[in-house]
Amino acid sequence: MLLKRLLIIAPIVLALGLLQSYFWVPTYDAQTRGNPDRVVKFIEGSIGDAKILNPILNADGSSSRITGLVFEGLLDLDENLNLRGRLATDWSITESAYLTVIDGARFPDGQPVTPTALRARVGAAVAADSHLQGLVTRIEPLPPQERSETLTLPGKPPRTVTVRVRLPARLQISLTRVDQDFFKRLERVLGPSYERAAPHERWIDVTPVELRAEVQPQFSVLAPIFEHNPEILFKLRRGVRFHDGHEVDAGDVKFTYEAIMDSKNLSPRTSDFEPIKSVDVIDPYSVRIVYKRLFSPAITAWTMGILPEHLLNAKALAAEAQRRALSQAARERFGMRDSQFNRNPVGAGPFRFGEWRSDELIHLARYDDYWEGPPKYRDFFYRIIPDYLTQEVEFRTGAIDAYGPLPHQAARYQDDKRYQSFSRLGFSYSYIGYNLDHPLFGDKRVRRALGMAINTDEIIKYVLYEQGERTTGPYPKNTDWYDQGVQTIPYDPDQAQRLFEELGWKRNADGWLEKNGKIFEFNLITNHGNPLRKAILTIAQNGWKRIGVKCNTQVFEWAVFLEDFIDPRKFDAVVLGWSMGIDPDLFQIWHSSQTGPKQLNFVGYKSKEADELIVRIRREYDIATQRELTHQLHRLIAEDQPYTFLYATRATTVLDKKIVVVQDDGKNTPITPARSGDVFFDFNRWRKLEYTPTF
Amino acid sequence: MGTYLLRNLLQRLVLLFIVSVIAHAVVHLAPGEPSEVDPSNPRMKPEDVAKIRAAFHLDKPLYAQYGYWMRDLFTGELKSFKDSQPVLPKIGRRFLNSLPLFIGATLIVWTLSFPVGIRAALHRGSGYDRSTTFVAYALISIPGFFLSYLAILGVVGFFGVPVIGMRTFGIQDATPVYQIMDRFWHLAIPSLMSALGGIAVLSRYVRSQMLEVMGQDYVRTARAKGLDEDTVIYRHALRNALLPFITMFGFMLPALIGGSVIFEQIFAWPGLGRLGYEAILSRDFPVILTINFIAAALTLAGTFLSDVLYAVADPRIRLE
Repeated sequence: MLLKRLLIIAPIVLALGLLQSYFWVPTYDAQTRGNPDRVVKFIEGSIGDAKILNPILNADGSSSRITGLVFEGLLDLDENLNLRGRLATDWSITESAYLTVIDGARFPDGQPVTPTALRARVGAAVAADSHLQGLVTRIEPLPPQERSETLTLPGKPPRTVTVRVRLPARLQISLTRVDQDFFKRLERVLGPSYERAAPHERWIDVTPVELRAEVQPQFSVLAPIFEHNPEILFKLRRGVRFHDGHEVDAGDVKFTYEAIMDSKNLSPRTSDFEPIKSVDVIDPYSVRIVYKRLFSPAITAWTMGILPEHLLNAKALAAEAQRRALSQAARERFGMRDSQFNRNPVGAGPFRFGEWRSDELIHLARYDDYWEGPPKYRDFFYRIIPDYLTQEVEFRTGAIDAYGPLPHQAARYQDDKRYQSFSRLGFSYSYIGYNLDHPLFGDKRVRRALGMAINTDEIIKYVLYEQGERTTGPYPKNTDWYDQGVQTIPYDPDQAQRLFEELGWKRNADGWLEKNGKIFEFNLITNHGNPLRKAILTIAQNGWKRIGVKCNTQVFEWAVFLEDFIDPRKFDAVVLGWSMGIDPDLFQIWHSSQTGPKQLNFVGYKSKEADELIVRIRREYDIATQRELTHQLHRLIAEDQPYTFLYATRATTVLDKKIVVVQDDGKNTPITPARSGDVFFDFNRWRKLEYTPTF
Repeated sequence: MGTYLLRNLLQRLVLLFIVSVIAHAVVHLAPGEPSEVDPSNPRMKPEDVAKIRAAFHLDKPLYAQYGYWMRDLFTGELKSFKDSQPVLPKIGRRFLNSLPLFIGATLIVWTLSFPVGIRAALHRGSGYDRSTTFVAYALISIPGFFLSYLAILGVVGFFGVPVIGMRTFGIQDATPVYQIMDRFWHLAIPSLMSALGGIAVLSRYVRSQMLEVMGQDYVRTARAKGLDEDTVIYRHALRNALLPFITMFGFMLPALIGGSVIFEQIFAWPGLGRLGYEAILSRDFPVILTINFIAAALTLAGTFLSDVLYAVADPRIRLE
């Protein structure tokens, strides 16, 4: 019977067909051992694929990892997180200060203010003061100016207005360095209330006129009396070439800036470059960046990769749209976001782009003409393995050289002699935030007592598998902004109990703290989908219960959590975390002006002293002074305890033990992470040996 | 028959429209925003977010967004939020990746289930029947991902060869024969793993169909005529038992586009299921909606096809 035979033979043939393929597949051993080709390849495992390989368009970790290797920025961060020149050999920060001549105002001695008189008096003041002498290089009068600009007013729908500003004569004063107190130093000349005499009403016209009242609050910004314009002059490295051989010059820097600010490109980095007033190309190897205002963190934005103008300018994009035979409408809308460049990038970094198979791998090849000398590895592979268990399997069999395990996997590698494992602090921390407008949390002693009842060390030990560290303040622990001298709040429920008793809270018959007939009760909430936060919720609840604090917990879906609780500030206490940058600016999270709905100071922290420090820090350009100020701010916030600061997480990277760093003298040394914690800091000098070295 | 087909086709088109409207509404009304307009990024100003929302038409009313989606879909200019790449070629490439896995799994299911099920039916109540029943229920109850992990650990541990991915890393330097065989190997385990559940279900189904048919009068008649047992079973019984399976062919069509999220995730297979899954996580609406739309269209086409096939195979059925 044919059918019968067929039914039996078919599955056997199929099974044999599939299984015989086993004999053709190279084993892991064959791939790794004695294969000279393998040691020049670095293979990194990643959970997720890159999204878009354009440094100005991506914001996710995987894409940044790749663009960081393909593109080169003007600057980067050295092992201590200080800025270091890359495409820029050198940079200097100076300032142009502008002082408006208020016609009709008077000097403290009663004389009227005129451009010539003002210039003479400022000049005399500079000559008389040795400090100012070293600061001011030039004073130049500027004629009156007129400009108009369009503003968008918030509201539904947003409205646009045209503002015409007739600026009176001004003095342009060039300073050798940025000095946020410069105009304060001129107070002897100008008198204490010079700024207040400004007749903004006369200088500014608004069309349509009905909306004038709404623009009014911005008048002093549109025509400032004192204006600081910090300037950075970058000197570019000569002879650096993109991977296609085109030389990197100042035009590329300007182009990159313009591409970010072009609203068509929807760059997520716009806000980093918004403080820039203009980017001026002085010659092909020097470019000057002029900023609108004092904002020292803005310089770190230049660590971002520089784009090749010749491949992405309007002409190149139009040609691409033409080549891809798009419809007329699509061609008009065609922008940098649509370009195939984003899947086939060309930069000036140590590796050139090779191939990208979505959700499978990204291949980069060594760029032999890299300005700092080519990397030791010939190939870089980024393999996307979306499952943690199979990642571990691939790592242990030697198919990948490095990956970032989960905390419980990381614990397994720590004692394993066969691998190198590096645990480093990240830039994020977790906290319990209290709504400071809530009557229970008004007193900082209450917040301190609540913090004392939570055993954070236990959280780190059992929830994080030791992949965390206690933290005491608002800055990442591995930056210089963090004051290492601030003590953590000890775990001491008895002391917490005593603090509450001092404040008049007594335990009632049920064991809850009670005062004036009301028990100490509130809700602690967090977002859904983060098991760590959920665990903290329970641990905090339990710790507080022991000292008689009644805490109810709830978990909400992220969108609901933000819209119904955080944005309108309708919560008692939250468990959340911040992922910080490397800059010391804390304005959005801690300044008292940021306590409105949908703003980030949702706990409602208001401290005059902190406000002053925050503003001074973002305007300070001297690192040492800045560090001193951030330490003050850290101590102040730690003292006030608006949050119970819990822990900063550590991330682990595991590496094959055969990988070493090749020093300039040719000696191999073990990999040591930079002080910032960055394991890959020396990556260009890494090499894989064919044997396991002993040091 | 002609009018029936036409009427049926029209009905299905209306249904497809309704499905697309509901899917669009559900996807857009579910909480969460595309990660590009992530409000939790403190660096983004409200103006920037508004600009991105406008570029994605997210500030428009729902019906207008539906209009934009349909227009872009049918002019082929629909772009992913994530990387602005055209959606259809993106889905097309992933479809080609998922296809071998689908074909492999389907072949395994259909070739294995019939002999197993028929034998169980013919020896009803025997030790073989009871053990296949037990194994079938075990396979249905044990989660596929668990068995897959065991399979990966087992194969890697005992044989020391790579299992995950579509091919061995670095195989592109080998000769074509090795490359092809390597692809087959990488196909074998994931397709077997994703077929296990199907084998368990289908073999049970074959068994019960066979049992039912074997009790029919015409089988008794065939035996009474003196035909040998093989002819009775394979010509008279099996042919009739096969009829309901024809409809199942139709249902396989939508599975083509669905991919298998779990198996693709575990075996690092860059297929369609993962594309859809990641699109859902990052709220990449154009990709989610388009995959959903194609799946709906294929489901409707599949049921239509089964109707027609059934009528062709079984003369007792008339399409009116």
